[in-house]
Amino acid sequence: MVNQEQLVDAVKKTVSREDVKYVVGYEKGTYGCEVTPSFAHSSEEAEKFIFTPLCVHNLAIYPKLEEKLPLGRDEKEDTRKIGLVVKGCDSRAVVQIIQEKGLKREDVVLIGIPCTGVVNPKKLKSRYPNYAEIVEIEEKDSSFSIKFNEENHTIPKEELLFDACINCEYPNPPIYDILIGEEIKSTNKETYEKVKVVESKSQKEKWAYWEEHFQRCIRCYACRDACPLCYCKECMVDQLDPRWVRRSVNLSENTAWNIMRALHLAGRCVGCSECERVCPMDIPLTELNKKLEKNIMEIYDYIPGISEEAKPLLGTFKPDDPEEFIL
Amino acid sequence: MDSFVLLKKTLPTFIEKLSDEYDVFAPTRKDNIFEYKLISKPSDINLDFVNSRLPPKSILLQQTETLFKFKPGRKGKILPKEISEDKKIIFAIRPCDAKSFSILDTVFDSDFKDPLYLSKRENSVLIGLSCNNPGVNCFCTSFGDSPTSSKFVDILFTDIGEKFFVETISDKGKKLVEKITDLFEKATEEDKNLKDSAEKEAIDTIKRNMKLEGVVEKLDEIFESQLWHSIAMKCIGCGTCTFLCPTCHCFDMQDEATLKEGARIRVWDSCMYSEYTMHASGHNPRPARMNRVRNRVYHKFSYFPKNSEYTACTGCGRCIEFCPVNIDIIDVIAKVREVKV
Amino acid sequence: MTVETIQEFEPNIIGFLCNWCSYAGADLAGTSRMQYPPNVKIIRVMCSGRINPMFVVNALQQGADGVLIGGCHPGDCHYQHGNYFTRRRITILKNLLEFLGIEPERVRMTWVSAAEGRKFAEVVEEITEDIRKIGPMKQIRRVNEW
Repeated sequence: MVNQEQLVDAVKKTVSREDVKYVVGYEKGTYGCEVTPSFAHSSEEAEKFIFTPLCVHNLAIYPKLEEKLPLGRDEKEDTRKIGLVVKGCDSRAVVQIIQEKGLKREDVVLIGIPCTGVVNPKKLKSRYPNYAEIVEIEEKDSSFSIKFNEENHTIPKEELLFDACINCEYPNPPIYDILIGEEIKSTNKETYEKVKVVESKSQKEKWAYWEEHFQRCIRCYACRDACPLCYCKECMVDQLDPRWVRRSVNLSENTAWNIMRALHLAGRCVGCSECERVCPMDIPLTELNKKLEKNIMEIYDYIPGISEEAKPLLGTFKPDDPEEFIL
Repeated sequence: MDSFVLLKKTLPTFIEKLSDEYDVFAPTRKDNIFEYKLISKPSDINLDFVNSRLPPKSILLQQTETLFKFKPGRKGKILPKEISEDKKIIFAIRPCDAKSFSILDTVFDSDFKDPLYLSKRENSVLIGLSCNNPGVNCFCTSFGDSPTSSKFVDILFTDIGEKFFVETISDKGKKLVEKITDLFEKATEEDKNLKDSAEKEAIDTIKRNMKLEGVVEKLDEIFESQLWHSIAMKCIGCGTCTFLCPTCHCFDMQDEATLKEGARIRVWDSCMYSEYTMHASGHNPRPARMNRVRNRVYHKFSYFPKNSEYTACTGCGRCIEFCPVNIDIIDVIAKVREVKV
Repeated sequence: MTVETIQEFEPNIIGFLCNWCSYAGADLAGTSRMQYPPNVKIIRVMCSGRINPMFVVNALQQGADGVLIGGCHPGDCHYQHGNYFTRRRITILKNLLEFLGIEPERVRMTWVSAAEGRKFAEVVEEITEDIRKIGPMKQIRRVNEW
């Protein structure tokens, strides 16, 4: 459980620094126990900051999302830092962006939160169809206590957490400037259970599984927009010449888009599950990302988002990389 | 308006009768997603839903639609697309989504009459299903409608326990029922009362409310307000709100071709993308997310009511429910009303 | 009935060959009048490092039943190490395709030097036979339903 006062204090301290523009964190949303990203430009605005098990958003997208409007004649660019409240995976996303030189370490001030897992709103919603009436959700040791219809419900954590959170190996932010609370000692080991389920299917079953999901894709590209690591100025799918993926929505193009998205995140994805959370058509995108993460771990012994100095997976090589498949 | 009742156990027979003449689209379930799909048998239908994930606009305004075909080269020519006259029934459409078609009509049946949309609209019968259990983010009552509103459908079904209370509203609806009257019974006073109490109960379930008085005028005054900056800061520009909106109708046109033939197609587009307004010159009249977020609100709550009798929102709540960062249109309008000029 | 169903299935294979080694190898196979199946349609690229995995996906979408990627032997790349990068990229692509239920054998990679005309002919023979066995690409073939 994160100490509320400590968090607000840290944010206040950060936002009152002269070299900080604003701090991005979480505040209470508009209904139920919904949480929404919040921006504090002053210490008064920091009062509303919270951290609950529903703080799912990966705020690492915001520094790259900031729009720089054209400057006037005598205007100077505002180069002040942006403060971010980061969980383990969010911090890893920042590390990855820094590693790729998308951001400089000194561009951001990180308020780290050792994270014990966040609730998947989709799981919560399917459990409580009248989700908006939930007023409070609290974390106990191995369960969540949910106040619903003036009753307290206790649900084991695994039933509500994101699949990626259950066996998260990196609950602590690898980089931070201020840490709220103490680092968690974690002995979790990623088991890739869902990936293994799909892997064990036959080739025909695999395609049947994915065909059904990709057929449904409406190509809104919300998965891309929510991803902290999809920060290209122009995405390949938006390019008109060459047109990598056609705009018409059908199985072939949808699959091409999903292959492309997964490949572009190979060795970069930190597994925060944001893509899956925002997908309006419930496509299990994490499985694709986790599959590549697993293989990359096995083949190249590479884990993204751990060190700022590491070189990107696809920008490096070893002369003795495995090549059994090459004729 | 005539009222009948249809026993629930005769519903499959009813659907089968309809299928003889019409393509029947009805809600089907896959995992947690309900979708309106062309059904092959009555058992495909699942009425255990609040609302479908994608609005049924996707039936009349398909996500990908061919406008015409062409053959390139010196002997190239344009091959106009045949306009299909297939008769459709959209069964169990919610009153809010039915309203969206009346709103879309003002767009596609204005100066330019869009033949593709209008032919489909002309040939489809909307069979509504009252919303007995509105969802948590429903607010159709804010627009003067009701979860059991019969204004925009041809026939309205209301679940009253063992049977459906059936009202025929338009001529299309009446004709359809006349053909198969033997399935229906005349409604009694008791049935009518049951329907009324279901309506009352449904309206009482709706907790959320959007206050609309004065919003059109207020929006005129706050175009340059800081409010838009503060809302847009959160927005990640994913466009989910527009893709899931039953009244959003913007599309992009693209040519797709092989060496031998090609087609001009239209696909859904979203004003939340920067490419949407990008000019060929490289100039973008809505360069920042702020402009785009603002435009979405203005289009729905200012430009639309000024040009037609509707606000381009039906209160279905999809954009609220699926926004990844909880940008809540009810909250936005409440904030609009609060802004001091 | 389409042509494909009447005749026996002839695989359509796109070969992306690097300018300095494998293309020259293919050239040598030709000038040495070696016999090999005509199923591979060659696109010359300057280096196998030029090959974006989307080239492969797009080829499979647009009518290819298989894709052959040819580069210089490790260490021989004209641009020092372009082929090493491709090796990583294609490994990942094949893993992903396999996971999606698209036969990874449709994407093949080979190292062929400018002197290995014989090897090139053998590789083409092998993959043509392999893909003939797998059959036509069905999963992501683009269907133009205009």
